[in-house]
Amino acid sequence: MRRSVVILLVVAAMVMAACGGGAPAAAPTGGDAAGKTVLRVWSHQNPSFIQANESVIAKFMEQNPDIEVKYEQFEYDQFIQALQTSMQAGTEADVIEMFGSWVCSYAAGGRLAEMPVDVMSYTEAQELFFAAPLGGYYCDGKLYGLPNEFNLEVGGALVNPALFEGKDVPYPPVWDTMDTLREQAARLSEFDGDTMVRAGFHFVGGDGLPFLLLEGILEQGGSYFAEDGKHFTFDTPEAIATIQLLMDMVQKDKLVDPVLFNAETNQPYDGFFAGVVASSFIGSWAAGQGLVNYPDFEFDYVNTPVLFGAQRKYAADAGWGKVVSANSANQEAAWKLVKFMTAEQANAVTFNGVTGTIPALKALVENPQELLAKAPWVEPTFKLLPDGQYLGNVSDRDKLFYDIIYPAILQALQGSMTAEQAAQTIHAQANEMVDSAQ
Amino acid sequence: MTRAAIAGGAGVRRKERTGLRPGQRVFVWGSLIPIFLYLGVFALFPMIWVVVLSFFNYSPVRVGDGPLGLGGRNPFIGLGNFAAMFADTQAGELFRISVKNTLIFAFLVLAVNLAITLPLAVLVESVHARVKGLFRAIYFLPTISSAVAVAIMWGYVFHPQQGLLNNFIKLIGLTPPKAWLTDPSAFVFGVPLAMVAAIIAYVWMDFGYNLVIFIAALQGIPREIRDAAHIDGATGWQEFRRITVPLLQPTLLLVCTLTMISSFQVFVIFQVMTGGGPQNQTRSLTMEIYENAFRFQAMGWAASMSLVLFAMVLIVTLVQFRVLRTDWEY
Repeated sequence: MRRSVVILLVVAAMVMAACGGGAPAAAPTGGDAAGKTVLRVWSHQNPSFIQANESVIAKFMEQNPDIEVKYEQFEYDQFIQALQTSMQAGTEADVIEMFGSWVCSYAAGGRLAEMPVDVMSYTEAQELFFAAPLGGYYCDGKLYGLPNEFNLEVGGALVNPALFEGKDVPYPPVWDTMDTLREQAARLSEFDGDTMVRAGFHFVGGDGLPFLLLEGILEQGGSYFAEDGKHFTFDTPEAIATIQLLMDMVQKDKLVDPVLFNAETNQPYDGFFAGVVASSFIGSWAAGQGLVNYPDFEFDYVNTPVLFGAQRKYAADAGWGKVVSANSANQEAAWKLVKFMTAEQANAVTFNGVTGTIPALKALVENPQELLAKAPWVEPTFKLLPDGQYLGNVSDRDKLFYDIIYPAILQALQGSMTAEQAAQTIHAQANEMVDSAQ
Repeated sequence: MTRAAIAGGAGVRRKERTGLRPGQRVFVWGSLIPIFLYLGVFALFPMIWVVVLSFFNYSPVRVGDGPLGLGGRNPFIGLGNFAAMFADTQAGELFRISVKNTLIFAFLVLAVNLAITLPLAVLVESVHARVKGLFRAIYFLPTISSAVAVAIMWGYVFHPQQGLLNNFIKLIGLTPPKAWLTDPSAFVFGVPLAMVAAIIAYVWMDFGYNLVIFIAALQGIPREIRDAAHIDGATGWQEFRRITVPLLQPTLLLVCTLTMISSFQVFVIFQVMTGGGPQNQTRSLTMEIYENAFRFQAMGWAASMSLVLFAMVLIVTLVQFRVLRTDWEY
């Protein structure tokens, strides 16, 4: 009997060991045999991000021989799942590359470490970084990390010179006002009978519509946050006027057919590089990505005008940056690495230059030569950066954008709702989201 | 049992009960325990965990106070998630839409699948043995294709401008739909056009499986029964209706059950081809579960919807067993 029990225990132990074999080592990697502090860093698996991070990490280890950094990456779709499961098990990395708009929800859940003031205070960070990207890392009066990039989705468009030919529209277009844009882009649209075969100005994207709505509200002097700073006010005259403007661009000017060109089919990026969109309202990241994916495709990235008034005001995501896990046993070394990867100017140039992203660090815009040599397409965005404000703590950014604002405005553009109904729908659903999260 | 055996001690009693010697018992348990542990860890525990989560407002983003991260920031809410399914909220409405879409999809897929596979199986079975294998292979090929590849391929076929289908329809002088997958105003007999497109893609990918099952079942029907029908003057249609279909009833039960279960669980076709659009017309329950669990981190809500999906599959399967069961063999 005793022999049986021993065998059973051995088998059970082997199975348990096999089950745990593929999992990474526990997060608190205090140090190895040589007395080095070992840090683990996680990011998603974008090749240019990996290249940039590897380069900066190698430099960090060179300057800090007592710290060894193990860099691991995940497919983008699996990254969130890996974070969720590992945080539950306490096996996440010390330093995590996180999208700024996610940070406050993880921080509120107790998953992230607060940045010690002796590493950098919020005031110091405000001196170094633009307000919009930094805002994502500042939650309830505490700083939880530092940004690498400024995620800008407004103020610019990809333009295809081939589709401007013979349309009596100057190229590259100088769109100073919305009236000019609407008048010229209408001439770029093409039809086969009633069917649009080329969109003049495609803005019906999952990010495009929500950011346009927020920009329109802000430029008219409105706000999308209620007085408590948590709930929303999307049923305002400013919101309705913005949705009506977008509807007019579709239904009166015929700049784009929202049934044939939207976030599901002929998306702003894909449709543009498929040659069925003359100009696409999209972030400058698309230019960098386009140069890599379509090296022979001729295009430019130009500024688009403000929607209302003369002063541009817009909301922006915080973009990718670095945070430290609350479970990390090496907080000091981890924060040292975070600061090195984000706040050191030379390393920021490496990151933004290699990834083609807009810098979060003000110094890179003030002295742009080095960065522009690597990523010249980001230049049109520079004059927009000081005008941006952080999106704010919107509870669940993806849900608000992709499940609430985009579908409602799309329905309005497709003629299934009025501007008032779309605004009311967004208002009700967004506040419901906030209430259910509390 | 003899008195000697009873008095023979624990070892003898155990041997008589199991029919195994101690060494054999060690072997049996040594073989079974790994699989029990495997099932326990990767099947039983997740199932229990889903049931537990469905009573909590749980998100892995939040650190809980109690064991396994439950409690505190992830509070117990009783039947709150289930009550929310009937609430007049966006979440409740999306859940109800996804249930409706899933049911429409599953029942239409079943009907279309059976309408194609059963007659086709009879036709394939009736051709010469040399080409029978060829037909079987051709029809089975889509079944072994990757669902993602199939969804992408059909996405191109249905593309409004460059799509094969619209260009073919134009070529023969007809007017194609404006957009197969993204036009919320397009319906076919009350069914959204995007749903019809998804059903076409899914049936194309899946019907070979049922076809092979039906062919195997047809081969099992005794030749003598058909011969007797012929002698009695039955036509081909009468033979199919009065003999083939009734004798295939156990196979029909199997095919219906498997097709319904797999249709309830379809995710990739919708996720890749339509993303749930247009205007949620193809949002399935599996998509809703996935999005809430892994995109919005609302694991408790997603777990409760998973239980509803489980109940739907269970109920439909039991009904099918009840309706289609037979008490005979041939």
